[in-house]
Amino acid sequence: MENLKTLVDSLYLLKPEIAISCVLVLVIIMDLIMDKNKTFLPYVALTGFIITAFLVVEQYFFKTSITQNLQKLLVIDAVGAFFKLIVILASCLIVYFSLISKEVKEAFDRHGEYYALICGMVIGMFFMISSADLIMIYLSLELVSLSSYVLAGFTKNSLRNSEASLKYFVFGAMSSGIMLFGISIIFGLTGTTNLLAVKSVMAAGGNSLTFLFASILIFAGIGYKISAAPFHFWTPDVYEGAPITITAYLSIASKAAGFALLIRFITLGYVQQIDASGAWQLVAGSIDWKKFFTVISILTMTLGNFAALWQDNIKRMLAYSSIAHAGYLLLGVVVLTNQGLSAVILYFIVYAIMNLGAFLVVMLIANKIGSEEIDDYKGLGYATPFLGVCMAIFLISLTGLPPTAGFIGKLYLFTALIEAKMIPLAVIAIINSVVSLYYYIRVLKHMFLTRPQNEDLVINTSFAEYVIVLVLAVPVILFGIYFTPIVNLAKNSVALFLQ
Amino acid sequence: MIINYIPILLVIAAAAGFAGLVVYSSTLFGPQSPNKEKLSTYESGMKPVGTTKERVSVKYYLVAMFFIIFDLEVVFVYPWAVQFKKLYNQYGISVFISMLIFLVVLELGYLYVYKKGGFKWD
Repeated sequence: MENLKTLVDSLYLLKPEIAISCVLVLVIIMDLIMDKNKTFLPYVALTGFIITAFLVVEQYFFKTSITQNLQKLLVIDAVGAFFKLIVILASCLIVYFSLISKEVKEAFDRHGEYYALICGMVIGMFFMISSADLIMIYLSLELVSLSSYVLAGFTKNSLRNSEASLKYFVFGAMSSGIMLFGISIIFGLTGTTNLLAVKSVMAAGGNSLTFLFASILIFAGIGYKISAAPFHFWTPDVYEGAPITITAYLSIASKAAGFALLIRFITLGYVQQIDASGAWQLVAGSIDWKKFFTVISILTMTLGNFAALWQDNIKRMLAYSSIAHAGYLLLGVVVLTNQGLSAVILYFIVYAIMNLGAFLVVMLIANKIGSEEIDDYKGLGYATPFLGVCMAIFLISLTGLPPTAGFIGKLYLFTALIEAKMIPLAVIAIINSVVSLYYYIRVLKHMFLTRPQNEDLVINTSFAEYVIVLVLAVPVILFGIYFTPIVNLAKNSVALFLQ
Repeated sequence: MIINYIPILLVIAAAAGFAGLVVYSSTLFGPQSPNKEKLSTYESGMKPVGTTKERVSVKYYLVAMFFIIFDLEVVFVYPWAVQFKKLYNQYGISVFISMLIFLVVLELGYLYVYKKGGFKWD
């Protein structure tokens, strides 16, 4: 009875989740009532997402400790609220993208399901970001995965699409199975699924070899969500086959939730305390995460960058590039310090904007020329100078060259590494960035340095498209020059973290 | 460490032994008068005709799945109903409303399935 009371009392902490659930229900009801005219559905979802965004911002300033609320199932803090904000803003943009996407428009009779499933993904990701319990982690991960399997095969009009969905499903089932196995081992060792309780049992001395094994198994599930090597195999096929809106969504929101989960998992389950300098002291008998993540991140970024060199399909190339970026982001986790965490947060702001931008331009071009092959981009810079220049901005930012926001993101990541005295790793990361220059610039070379195949081709951009491209392109330049606000945001989020 | 598990081993051995004993003793002591009906496959009283590898329409799985989903809701309603008076005295009307929300959401799913033609066999 007491449990129920505390649960009811802490319901106010779940405002964003409740709001988004209402949106989900509303979208389904609207879809059922209005059988003929479904054009307003995206606006319903968009309004709901914007309201939720405000609730998340409110959550950013909550002062709560982990032990007092929600049966220790969830943690509500500033870092979590920040990642939720990334997820919800990405969702708003994706709904906007869907409005101008030809692919999604063609499947108009299933629009209700499309937006309802996006809402489902958002709920899952919100819980993923704040979960402090192994069961909660598993449930939220499954909620996100099940929704995204369906979304990946949403348009149904091509073989590639169904293939993407099926592959995603098979890999997902596999890795969540592995993760569940790890969770069951930890439960067997400690008799609890709560990460804090697991930590205290392990600190008292336990079977560290089995614990290590179980931790790596659980990482398999998380690594699959952030597409870290060697759990990345689904990424290129799914990104290529899925509708572009969903590809962009998976590469931002899903990854943000995955990283939040990873950080939560490490800090709650393995970090004994955070000392004055901001370094995370690992609990005795825990796996050496530093070494483990070093290996994983080197593997991930090297593999992502070198595989991207050979791609002819731009979506596939961006898929490998997103794997490489997962590697860079892991660098911020490797150092196991608050500085590293704020670098990850900073990089996520930047990565979200530039990656969404790149996918947006790819989508707009695919809407017009119906192709995603890099060879078909020949001379497009002349057919549509506006999109060409914006694509250049996004790709240069993805490479990490000044004066774009990508440079600032990478700068802070590498600084965190150097502060932690991990110079060799920083060198490897920088070499990787140099490699990535080739495949990003190759697209620009096709767009601007070759003559168009069809001289008469002119691509018109509508007003709605202009607005959204500018909304993404301007911050990339702006944050590259005036980056104090985002740096402060990242630092403030971490200052409120786990005290 | 491993010595702690010996009782479990004993239980398994005892269970296996008992099962074997019962089955063997029935063949040993029971009257044996086999006929055609007795030896045929048990199919809940139906006559076993045709092959067992018959193909089942995929729609059957859909209906079965709906049945499971809407059947399992009762799992949540029963304990709620049993404890309702006690909870109502303690928390008031919110106990009723929360279950109502659950049922409404569930019915929404039912409506969705109905409207999308999930119950149509053809």
